Amino acid sequence: MIWSLIFIVGAINFAARLSFIALFARREMPPLLARALRHVPAAMLTAIVVPAIVFAAPGALRLDAGNVKLIAALVAGVVAWRWRNTLLTIGVGMVALWLLQWLMR
Amino acid sequence: MRTHFSRPAFIEGARDMLPMTVGLIPFGIVCGVGAISAGASPVAALAMSMIVFSGAAQIIAAQLLAAGAPLAVIVLSCFVVSLRFLMYSAAMAPYLKPVDQRWRHLVAFLLTDQAFASAIRRFRESPDLRANVSYFVGGGAVLWLAWQIATIAGILAGAVIPASWQLEFVVPLCFLAILAPLLHERAAVIVFATAAIAAIALDAMPMRLSMICAGLAGIVAGVVADRIFGRSATAEVEPGN
Repeated sequence: MIWSLIFIVGAINFAARLSFIALFARREMPPLLARALRHVPAAMLTAIVVPAIVFAAPGALRLDAGNVKLIAALVAGVVAWRWRNTLLTIGVGMVALWLLQWLMR
Repeated sequence: MRTHFSRPAFIEGARDMLPMTVGLIPFGIVCGVGAISAGASPVAALAMSMIVFSGAAQIIAAQLLAAGAPLAVIVLSCFVVSLRFLMYSAAMAPYLKPVDQRWRHLVAFLLTDQAFASAIRRFRESPDLRANVSYFVGGGAVLWLAWQIATIAGILAGAVIPASWQLEFVVPLCFLAILAPLLHERAAVIVFATAAIAAIALDAMPMRLSMICAGLAGIVAGVVADRIFGRSATAEVEPGN
């Protein structure tokens, strides 16, 4: 399964990267498609990040201050929003997580 | 155009890309760790980085694989995440028309968020296509190599670092680092709110389909928000990070 996954996902990524370069070099992208694609990063990143943070276990929604991942992510999110720095965001987020876990022990 | 290689431009592209690899390293490490913890062998984990060469797709694949999602759902989720490449591809296409097929394929394979961000301005401003393509390929080659090195580091680290460190939390943090700065824009806040609520509300959907559905809900909300706020469709294409 893992090897078919690698080749299928690899092919999809390559096809998406090649798409307009290979096929539509002379064509304009339809405006509605262009508008929709602009929102793909924010939409998909949210769909990936939010469940990883708000669920303590599968199906167990935790939107309170006792969820250390939620608090650490909020802190890291503010840092990322303000300073736009990947390493700083990761550093602050991990330290916040470890600190909160240590405090809650 | 017969050949597209200019060595000075290739080296310049490679050198300009070196500082950008710093932000890539933790991401690549996480991809290595993630693939291993999803049950991939070290060889498969490295092959994934070599062939797929996309952090977002690789991490989603690893997460869904670990969660036991079926192959079709994993492929579909990775497809939606790769849609942003259509945007970059469309932005590059007009400049690559005179370039022959082999070089176009090479450029497409190396077309990542970082490579696009660092090279598109040069394509717009300089008419020297040979130098531009070489510059792009030089930068892309450095990114690809850095990605493999980081993945190997992740594969090795995954076996050594204790689980209590919660290293997997670096994954949402990496994505947050890209996502949060987007929220300076009003439409993006609406996209975020919609996708977040949908991701929570739809979490019980079978086969982890909630991720795709929440993402699509966010995209639709963004298009509607554009219409309400009257944002022009011809807005400059800029990369996510």
